[in-house]
Amino acid sequence: MKRVIIRECGEFEIPCQYILDLRSTAVKDCIGCWSCWLKTPGRCVHKDLDEFYTAYLDADKVIIFSKVSLGFVSGDLKTLFDRMLPLFLPYITYKTGESMHVPRYEKYPEIEVYYQGDFPSIEVKKIYEDYINRTFYQFYSKCEIVKPISQFSLEEV
Amino acid sequence: MRTLVINGSPKGKNGNTEIFIQQFIAGMKVPCEICYVVNEDRLQLATYIKQFDTVIVAMPLYIHAMPGIVMKLIECMEPASDGGKVMGFIVQSGFMESAQSKYLERYLSVLTKHLNYTYLGTVIRGGSAGLYMMPVQMNKKLFKQLRMLGEHFELNGSFHRGITMELATPKKLSKGKSRMLQFSHKLGLGDNMFWNMMLKENNALGRKFDKPFGNEDLS
Repeated sequence: MKRVIIRECGEFEIPCQYILDLRSTAVKDCIGCWSCWLKTPGRCVHKDLDEFYTAYLDADKVIIFSKVSLGFVSGDLKTLFDRMLPLFLPYITYKTGESMHVPRYEKYPEIEVYYQGDFPSIEVKKIYEDYINRTFYQFYSKCEIVKPISQFSLEEV
Repeated sequence: MRTLVINGSPKGKNGNTEIFIQQFIAGMKVPCEICYVVNEDRLQLATYIKQFDTVIVAMPLYIHAMPGIVMKLIECMEPASDGGKVMGFIVQSGFMESAQSKYLERYLSVLTKHLNYTYLGTVIRGGSAGLYMMPVQMNKKLFKQLRMLGEHFELNGSFHRGITMELATPKKLSKGKSRMLQFSHKLGLGDNMFWNMMLKENNALGRKFDKPFGNEDLS
């Protein structure tokens, strides 16, 4: 199984093809230029994620260790989500009954999210979980695991 | 009441969010100050915000939520030390149905409480992706609504409920509407024409389906 790890917390040693550690790598922010759709289709003006994109698309599974920030995904992880836009087409399909971008690639990896940090209420936890699920639904990835990092088990990987 | 409007768009003055803000403040007798997240030091901006009684953050919807730079600003903010402060939001998205912004709306309402501000609400408008390149004539109604929203805000310190509801329509796509849109999508009409026109302008139409990072293209 080919794995990619995205992390901003946790030190698990997991066999994988690629690690993007957001604590040591500052991902450049999306500048909203749409070059990845309209000028250089599929390519971002920033080149800092090129290796990551290749590894992400090649992976069977991507494990994200997310640090809960004020009850939501951190600014760093949100920037990474913003930068996923080149992996999808500008065109919009309505076949699910709502607007969705058309995939650019044939397949996308399965996602598991393990989060660290507390939520002030169950309501806020639900918003975080719903947001993660929605995002990877839009990204055409199966995402069935959104759990606290304490429930991560190396044996199950 | 001192109000600060924050433009959270990574495109700053050159994006659709700026158009929303300009129309919103055009409805006011005394237009309020605007700050641009993209141009500011986030820590300094987070401190500067504290001087104002009311803060309105306007932003584009990026991947169902705020742009990364806005979350990074939020991470620099501290809960208000004294009560009575108010915060509201204006969100514009490319997707036409306002329900696409509901995850963000839910989060913004709990965040505002956490920051010890009173939540003014979130004005949501879909279908705004191409606003900046559309002839003004096509946006006449939207601009009027935004100006009225600004006018009402200046007088009452709140978002006008009726206009906010109008702007957020459609909330979801009806079955008939999504079928019709899908039909025109299959024929390459509708928004496809908009994207293709711009791809063509950039001499990129032939490369529109490029897969630069896919395995199959590595050979």
